[in-house]
This record gives sequence, structure tokens and C-alpha cells, in this order.
Amino acid sequence: MVDPVEVEAVVKRYGTAVALAGVTLRVGRGEIFGLLGQNGAGKTTLVKILLGMVAPTAGTARLLGIPVGTPSARRAVGYLPEDHRLPEYHTAASLLDCYGGLQGLPRSWRRQRAAELIEMIGLGQAHRLKVRNFSKGMKQRLGLAQALLHRPDVLFLDEPTDGVDPIGRKQIRDLLLAERARGVTIFINSHLLGEVEQLCDRVAILRKGKVVRSGSVVELTHRQHTWLVGFDRPVPDSSTWASAHLDPPDRNGISRVHLADEAALDLFLAEATGRGFAIRHLQKERGTLEDLYLQCATVPIGPHVASSVRCG
Amino acid sequence: MIGWMRSFVALLHDTWLEFIDAKSLWLVLLTIAVLFGVALTIHGEPLAAGRTYLDLAARSLSADTNDLDPAEVSLHTIATRLDGSISWIQSAEPIGPVMQPADGQPQDGPKTSWRVTLVRNTLPVVGKMADTNSIAARFGRVADGELWRVHAIRETTAPLAARLGSQRWEMVVNPGRDLTILWPHRLTLFGDALELTPPQGAPLGLEVFILQKLLATGLGGTALLLVSVVITAGFVPTMIRKGTLELLLARPVHRWQLILGKFIAALLFVAGMLGLLVGATWVVTGIVSGLWAPGILLAVVSLLLFYGLLLSVSIFAGTLTRSAPAAMLIAVAYWAVLFVVGILHAQVVASRVREDLTGRPRPLTVADALRGRSDPRAPLEPQKRPFHRTAAGRIVEATYRVLPHSSDLDAMVDRQLMRGFSVGGRMRQVLESGEFSWLGGMGLTVAHATAFLAAACVIFGSRDP
Ligand SMILES: Nc1ncnc2c1ncn2[C@@H]1O[C@H](COP(=O)(O)OP(=O)(O)O)[C@@H](O)[C@H]1O
Ligand SMILES: [Mg+2]
Repeated sequence: MVDPVEVEAVVKRYGTAVALAGVTLRVGRGEIFGLLGQNGAGKTTLVKILLGMVAPTAGTARLLGIPVGTPSARRAVGYLPEDHRLPEYHTAASLLDCYGGLQGLPRSWRRQRAAELIEMIGLGQAHRLKVRNFSKGMKQRLGLAQALLHRPDVLFLDEPTDGVDPIGRKQIRDLLLAERARGVTIFINSHLLGEVEQLCDRVAILRKGKVVRSGSVVELTHRQHTWLVGFDRPVPDSSTWASAHLDPPDRNGISRVHLADEAALDLFLAEATGRGFAIRHLQKERGTLEDLYLQCATVPIGPHVASSVRCG
Repeated sequence: MIGWMRSFVALLHDTWLEFIDAKSLWLVLLTIAVLFGVALTIHGEPLAAGRTYLDLAARSLSADTNDLDPAEVSLHTIATRLDGSISWIQSAEPIGPVMQPADGQPQDGPKTSWRVTLVRNTLPVVGKMADTNSIAARFGRVADGELWRVHAIRETTAPLAARLGSQRWEMVVNPGRDLTILWPHRLTLFGDALELTPPQGAPLGLEVFILQKLLATGLGGTALLLVSVVITAGFVPTMIRKGTLELLLARPVHRWQLILGKFIAALLFVAGMLGLLVGATWVVTGIVSGLWAPGILLAVVSLLLFYGLLLSVSIFAGTLTRSAPAAMLIAVAYWAVLFVVGILHAQVVASRVREDLTGRPRPLTVADALRGRSDPRAPLEPQKRPFHRTAAGRIVEATYRVLPHSSDLDAMVDRQLMRGFSVGGRMRQVLESGEFSWLGGMGLTVAHATAFLAAACVIFGSRDP
């Protein structure tokens, strides 16, 4: 079976400015994929190429196996643009009805679906209100609803939680997880790393039009031989341990333990017991995407980048 | 195909909501409604004119007036066509219905029938006597119009008088088909508060002609076109602004479908409003005057063609600049150029046509300046000579040749109105001169509109959002 999203050596130049410098990536069916990168990295450009709005300078891209740029490639695709502006003279229902018509959906079907979505995104009370009087969060939720309208197989979300409050973000997250459960492939552009980390199965980091890292979130944030430990009382001299290197505890009393290898954990636990400490907290540490991202963003692009592109 | 229809209906729906969202639309519709309400208070009162028109009918028995414009008939023109006889109304008595004004004498009107004594004298011996049937058929027919219809006729010529060339008939005549149109009426507004006509009144047809032009093509039409251009000029810039366009482009439609859909939708709504405006004009003037000539309904075609042209210009400009004010200004400026060029061209045509018709030099006009005529007494140029000798004149002419002849469309509507209401005069001569045609007006208008629209589609289709 073909991957829903296939991008092959895509290059996009605006005049002499390079927005995408040869991007290759694939997103598998039912995956939530996160494309990370600073402003101007080329995330939006890539999504627009996939939706046929921007013609690539070189390279090929396919959606659900169909070359991009034709209406049929977009038929089963939902899109939430970044900084979208919904036409202000619509109500939520009339907007969804019009977009449903453009999508070619039968009238009764789209009426029912629109009502269901409006209820789902919590705009049921505001059915007489025009978009011009919507709050930012309402607009964002309506934007999401128009992307989900035709039950697409692939969903492109460009900065979906931008400007949405934490409760709204949680709602959006739950909605997306429900969509994934239906087998929908979700492609998220974001610079909000916490979001992506909570949602995405796989991520790629884009920098200046190039993929500098890609892989599963677990893979990318994996840290070797580091554990977090908490004792029943403060550790007076964390520097004198024999079996491991122990960082000073943070304000919750949790210390980071650096081991030589995984087998050393048992030695460390024995030493702690020997010193009379009772263990209250023990957890394998993972890096955050943020660490990785900052690392990627600051390291100059050199020969090693090429190798990480290949490994992605 | 079904999907295609659904997309189109969706665009129609979307455009409709955008259209009725505009406050200015309601303001103008309200103003127009008030205008029509005011027009409904117009009251037309016929003046006593039966004797005048009976005399006219009697006089024209002596002349062949079949190719004469009824509105142009004068004693002078009739006199040149006399057949040597002379007829007059010896006595006339209204036999009803007559009008009973609240104060004053019973009065005849355009619905009144008459008992008439007609006398016809011709030269004894050489003159030809008229037979009763030809009098019955010809009395009241002036040019192509029918003022009176003979209901009953009886010859009462005395034998001796017959020998002297004098005949006499007793007739009952009813008003003919065209009498009301030419009958002088006094028009007042708001009951009797405001006089719209001079004391001697004016032909009802002329009054309705002016009213219809004012309501449908003049004030009402211009206001409606202007507000429609202003509102719809914003449609495409709003649709293609960043953040909105992406929502549409993600749908499985072609870009040209979006442009064309907006165009057709806007055209349909404006067509509906123009239909209402023109239809209301027809009904209102029909109600207040009783004249139902349908010529004004053609104004829907001319106004809509013109609006379609302005719309495609504004769509083109909107696609290019992505700015609603710019699109609106460019469309209005284009309108202004067409208007000025159209007027100047019509002036030049009028100047030439009148000269050809009258053969008389006239005082100099703007048109003469454009034609390079500087001496009013100079000999006239032969017919159909290139009439632009000056640079300004050539520019006007050249501009007119390439621009849509939208003013020709107005001229065609005016001509139809003038025919319907038997309105004559110099303007009628110019409009009937063959210089204007529906095809000429439509051809370049449709061609320009198509070109602008196609250019908009090409620009829009080939640009990254
Ligand atoms: N229409 C355009 N014309 C010229 N340059 C553009 C255009 N669109 C995007 N760019 C440039 O391409 C680069 C990538 O932009 P974008 O894809 O929007 O990045 P991101 O979404 O990651 O913030 C930026 O440097 C931007 O300035
Ligand atoms: Mg972006």
C-alpha cells in the first residue's frame, strides 16, 4: 500500500531565495507526523506544495498515490492553513455548508455532518453568530471543523494550536487522537514542541529548507544511561558516590543519575541502600524534543547534516 | 458533473451571503424603494384637447402623412403635402364619457367620443370628390399613428354644395390607439402639491418616457450599478486574500472555477436587482399613466451587459492588485472613460445627422470643435465624410472604436422607448439614423468582458498564493 504522503527531493525557490532545498519524506497511514522548524524554515511551503497551491521548482510529491496539483489529489485531504481568515459574513453552519458544496458533498449529508461538527467543537450555542464576531479560539475550532468536514483521509494542520488556550488545545488534541483512531493520517506543522511531543508518532526537523533530523519521537529523545531518582531525605554530598555521578537535586528533591551503563543501576541502588536512603522515585530519563530542537537549530549546517538526512 | 454543479451552487450561496452582508446595498435599495413610493404619488390629469386633435385629424386628410412621425407633425410639413383639398371640423360635441372636475365645466379627455361634422372642400370640377369609405378609413390616421377611429359615418352633402366641390359628413368618432400617448396631461406629485409640467401640459408619452428614463436608467439604474460595482469589486480581493484563499484552494476545484463562479453569481444577483428595478419602473409608470409600452424592459439587457463589463474589469483589477479599493476605483474610472467617450461620440454623430437632415448650418457645439468646424456659415461637409479633422476628435474617435460601445446600448433602449411613446424630436432622429445598433453595442462589450475575465483567470491560475 502506498504511503499517504510522499515527498521526493522537492526544491522550491522564490527568485533566488531557497525555501526548500531538496526535501524527501514519507508519512505512513494512520501516523501523526510533526514537521518542526523555526519561522521561515519552509514548513508552510512544503504543505502548500502538497496541496497543489504552490508549484515545486523541482522534485515530485504524491498524496494518496496521486501526483499533487490536480483537484482529485485534494479530494480526500483536509487542510487547516496557518493564520487562516474565514470569510466574515458566514455563520459556522453556512460556512461549512459552502465548503461542503465546494467539496462536492451531497446536501443532506453535509447538513448533518456540519451540525455534528458544530456540536463537537462547541459552537452549538453560537449558531446565529457571524464569523466576524467570533473569538480567536472559536475561529480556530471552526477552521479545524472545515478541515474535518468531508472526513478526509489525510489532514494537514499548519500551526493548529496557535493562539488557542490550554483547554482548547486539549480539546483539539483529543479530536486529533480520535481522528487518528479512525485511521486518518495527520501532518502537523508546528513550532510548539510540547504539543508535537504529546501528539506525534514521528517528527522531522526542518531547517532552512532541509530536513536535519527525522525519526520517531522515542528514538529522537532517547538518552543513554540517565535516570531520575528521589530519596526519602536530602542527599548531603551528591559528589561522593562511587557507582554513579549524581547531579545536585532540583527543588523537588529529584537528582539526575549518570551511569556508566545500564547494569550499573543495580550497583547504584545497592549503594543507596547501603548509605541508608529509601528510594521514593525512580525513572528513566528521556530528553525533550526541545533539547533536540535547540541543538539542531544552533548547530551550524555542515557535513553531518547530510548524514542525518540520510538516516532519516 | 454533479460535483461541478454542487461547487457552483456553493459559490452562489457564498456570494449571496457576501452580497446581502453589505450595508450599502440595503441603503440603496431603501432609497430606490422610497423613490418608487414617491413616483407612485404622481397624478396625471388630461387637459381638454379634443378639438385640437380633431382639427389635426381633419387637416391631415388633405395630406399624405403616412411616412411622417406623429410627434413631428406640424402645419408646415402638412402644408407641403396638400392634395388640393381642405377639410375642417365644422362642429364637434363630446358625447362622453366626459370628466367632471370638482370645480368648473365638464371637460373632454382622451377617452371621450365625439359627434363631429366634417366639411371637405375641393376645387370645383378639377378637384376629386372623396368617398365616404375612404374618409372613414383615413380620418384620425396621422403618419403611422391612430388618433381617432370612425365609429359611424353618414354623408349629408347638399346637392348644390356637391356641385361646388363641398362635401359634408356627420360622424361619431372614438379615441384611437395612440391618442392617449399624445394627449397633453398635467402631472403633479404628492397629490396636487408639486407641478411637474407646464400649465399647457405635455404629451403623456413624453412624460412617461422621461419618468422611465429617470427611474430605470437614470437615477435608479446608475445608483444600483454604482453600489453593485462598489460591493462586488471587493468579492475577489476578499476571496483571494491570504488565509482565505488557502481554505478554498484546498478544495477539489480549479482556480478558474472560483473566479468564474464569483462572476456568474454576482451577475445573477445584480440581474435580479436590475430586473426588480426595471420591472418596478414599468409597473409604477404603468399604474400612474395607464401606458404599458414594454420598451423599458430592454433596459435590463443594456444595464446588465454594462454591469457585466464593469464586473469583469473589477475582477481583473482585483486579481491583479488584490485590493478592493483599487478594484473599485479602476472599475469606476473605466466607467467614467466609457461615459465621456460615449457622450462625445454621440454628440459628434448627432451633429452630423442633424446637419444631413436639415441641411442648415447651426451654432457651433463641442462636437463641431471635435469635427474641426470653426465657421458656422461654412459649407457643410458631404454626408459620411470622416468627421474628425482635429487631434482631439481623432482621439475620441479612436478610443470609441476600441472601447466597448456601451453607450450604444443605452441609445437602443432610448430608441425603443421613443418609439413606444411616440416621442420625436432631434434626439429621435439621431437614434433612428442607423448609427447605433444592438450588435454594435453588444459585440465589443461582450468581447472586452470576456478578455478581462480570461486575463483574470490566467493571472490567478499561474500565481503562488
Ligand atoms: N510567496 C513567496 N514569495 C517569496 N518568498 C516566500 C513566499 N512564500 C514563502 N517565502 C519564503 O520561503 C521561506 C519559507 O517560508 P515558510 O514556508 O512560510 O516557512 P514556515 O512555514 O516554516 O515559517 C521563507 O524564507 C519565506 O520568506
Ligand atoms: Mg508557516
